Amino acid sequence: MVNASKQLITGLGVLLLFSVLSVSCYAMDYPEEVEIDSLANLYEPVIFDHAMHVDATEGCAECHHHTTGTPVLNAYCAKCHTGDVEMDVVACQDCHSADPVSPENLHNPKPGYSYHNDQPNLKAAYHLKCLGCHREVDGPTGCEDCHAKTEAGDKFYHSGEFAPKEDAQHGAEHE
Amino acid sequence: MKKLETFGIKPHDASLKADGEKWSIMEKLLLGLTLDQYIGQAIRNKLNWFFAIIFAIGIPVIIYRFIFSLGAVTHASYDYPWGLFLGFGLFCMVPLSASGFMLGTTVEVFGRHDFEPIERLALLNGLLGYFFAVVYLLVDLGQPWRLSYPMVYSFGPAAVLFLVGWHVATYLSVQVAEVSTAFFEWIGFQRGYDFIRKGTIGLTVAGIILSTLHQGALGALFLYAPGKVHPLWYSAPFQWILFFISSIPAGLCMVICVSTIVIHTMKWRCDKRFIDNLDWITIALAKGSAMGLITYLIMKFIAIAHDNEWAYFFTGWGAWWWFEILGFVILPLVILSYGIHNKLVGLCRIGAFLTVLGILLNRLNTALITFNWQLYQEIPHYLEFVIAITIFAIYVATYRFILARLPILYKFRSQAEE
Amino acid sequence: MSKITRRKFLAASAAGGTAIMMAPTKKAFAAGSFEGFPDGMGVLVDLTRCVGCRTCEAACNKEQKLPEPALPFDDYSVFDEIHHGNQKRRTTDKAYTIVNRYDLKDSDEPLYRKIQCNHCNEPACLTSCFVNAYTKTPEGAVIYNSHVCVGCRNCMIACPFHIPAYTYHSVLNPVIKKCIFCYDTRLKEGRPPACVESCPQQVMTFGKRKDLMVIAHERIKKNPDKYIDHVYGEKEVGGTGWFYISSAPFEEAGFDVHLPKKPIIDNVKDFLAIVPVVLTVWPALFTGFHLLATKGKSHGHGDDHSHDEQEGH
Repeated sequence: MVNASKQLITGLGVLLLFSVLSVSCYAMDYPEEVEIDSLANLYEPVIFDHAMHVDATEGCAECHHHTTGTPVLNAYCAKCHTGDVEMDVVACQDCHSADPVSPENLHNPKPGYSYHNDQPNLKAAYHLKCLGCHREVDGPTGCEDCHAKTEAGDKFYHSGEFAPKEDAQHGAEHE
Repeated sequence: MKKLETFGIKPHDASLKADGEKWSIMEKLLLGLTLDQYIGQAIRNKLNWFFAIIFAIGIPVIIYRFIFSLGAVTHASYDYPWGLFLGFGLFCMVPLSASGFMLGTTVEVFGRHDFEPIERLALLNGLLGYFFAVVYLLVDLGQPWRLSYPMVYSFGPAAVLFLVGWHVATYLSVQVAEVSTAFFEWIGFQRGYDFIRKGTIGLTVAGIILSTLHQGALGALFLYAPGKVHPLWYSAPFQWILFFISSIPAGLCMVICVSTIVIHTMKWRCDKRFIDNLDWITIALAKGSAMGLITYLIMKFIAIAHDNEWAYFFTGWGAWWWFEILGFVILPLVILSYGIHNKLVGLCRIGAFLTVLGILLNRLNTALITFNWQLYQEIPHYLEFVIAITIFAIYVATYRFILARLPILYKFRSQAEE
Repeated sequence: MSKITRRKFLAASAAGGTAIMMAPTKKAFAAGSFEGFPDGMGVLVDLTRCVGCRTCEAACNKEQKLPEPALPFDDYSVFDEIHHGNQKRRTTDKAYTIVNRYDLKDSDEPLYRKIQCNHCNEPACLTSCFVNAYTKTPEGAVIYNSHVCVGCRNCMIACPFHIPAYTYHSVLNPVIKKCIFCYDTRLKEGRPPACVESCPQQVMTFGKRKDLMVIAHERIKKNPDKYIDHVYGEKEVGGTGWFYISSAPFEEAGFDVHLPKKPIIDNVKDFLAIVPVVLTVWPALFTGFHLLATKGKSHGHGDDHSHDEQEGH
């Protein structure tokens, strides 16, 4: 309950700030396009067509959980996140840590977040959300459908110009 | 040798020549023949030609294994890490070599000195079997030069293999000591002979302990693989007992087999004592084997009942199990019983051969054939067969070499007859 | 911890002992049971998340400096490979982790399963090794000292998950190769193994084993329709450091569901227990037999001195 009230206060602040009273997130300002580049390494950054996804989905909560002021879909989350409270953090990386298992972060859950003890890391948050939905709605699911592989990626996967030569194949057939 | 006998030439069998002179080592090695005579009989012997062919093919393959790695002569299988070298070489050779402690116990502990004519053959059979099991092991180990590590360098005392390693090593030493009496007689080292004889009882009892444990331990090794060995061949509480009990008929029948071969092919080397006693000894050994077999058979069924594995009888593996039990436990048991009852030595020998085959089949079933029964079957690489056969041929050749010289089949005399 | 200290102590005592002296220690050693290190790390593998991208295989290859693969890691034709007539791919000396695809009975979507060493609490490989080459570290990894390996391959026989592989093709230094939880390069410093870090879907969650076990059960509880109510590796063979939750019955994803719930070594304890008995009872028993059997016979046919008699000829 401490949690909920804390968030309620934060939420109220946000509400006052934007003077937005509508329950629909469509009323919110949102970016047309998002460049997801914080983890780009093996793959190029993803240029995410946010506007298209806003049109394609039924509500912000499908991706943004409880942060956009629409009712949360997950019954488990709804136990605490009951209000239609917009939060000042909506981007995935604001909550999902890129490195949740660094030694400092191992002592999860953080105080006050005892129900957030099974939070995916940022990379997984993107992929689980995107790919999970794409698989359901027959969206694109191949890795390079969303982001092109970098040279580092080709090296890592031994693909493209780094693909194994014929003789290497020979060596691996001893099984 | 038969041909030489017709010329009245007798092999070396005593510490002194007929004229009272001592034999030189060279003369002893040549069986008291001249070099020409020796080479002549060796060339006439067809078995030598057979060995020559096997060695010509097999020894290069063994060298090839050590130059080009284990992967070059096996399938390098991750699922079947143990192939023929251990499946046959270790798991079959060791039970067939249980004869040493069986006859040692009979003669020395139970005081049945009437079995003495066969005692040394049994001891030698034990020694060579173990020795060559170790040879097979050396070929199979990835880094055989580290064989002594579990003894001196890095200990894994909770491992069954640790026990097997220690006990086989210790028992090998015990058997070397036991057989050394024959060697000391042959080279004429009386003090060594006396020294060993004094410790006979100790050595024999040590032999019983070590044998009980490591024969059983070979079975217990498979307890690490529940689910990999087929349940009909696997029994957590009884595996070691089954392996130990079955080693008794295995060892005894191996002695019957070897003595049968010897009496037919090396009769010149057997003295009257051995020849005259062999028939009743064979029947007596057959009796022991039959007792062992029936105990083994009952234990087999107890193990099945204990784990409630009856349902497996009606599967393909069940049929294979029945093949092993009917053909190589029950059938030899019937043959042996009939042979014993009617004092038919030949029948006992047939029973003994079947029993030995049965032990081979059982060990191969456990270690290779039913292993990974839920995965797939793998037939060992043909070079594994070549190496296994070659080492076995070296074993037979060594066996024959020693039998021809040391006083195993004959009692050493102080002076040769004219 | 006590187990390790005891192990070291026993090894030291064994060093000075003979085979006979060592036997009782074997018993004492085997009699204990070990539930795993309290703060041992583990990995929860959620098969429902895996999409079969093989990134973990690539990451492992890079981290462990393994040889070049036969096919690129983004080549998914490997999922169709069949070996030995009916076997999917398995771990080798060149690949410590493997992802396989399983077609399910009740679903159009296949299930992918990553295999690697499960880092058992009481590993069969460790207890079967006669040179004690394996160590279960307090961090939870099962690591292997190749400098003492003799190459008997008993660990490969013992491993219930068919994990250790052997470099059969090495002439002078063939050794066991398997996943070591990236112990040397990562786990020691508290970092997750390379495969875990690389996974785009966080199929694998790294943390203390006991914390992860709670999370595993929570996931099942929160999504009873999604998961089978079983954590594979919680109890199997005494518990494993890496454990799985799945949407399909585990046997459909190639898991051996008939493994005992107790550590593999428990099967062997019965036998190890008889070792000291035989060692202590047999000498007395058989010496007794000897005395009874030879009583009053010492001058009979071929007595103990029969061999000596022949010297008098």
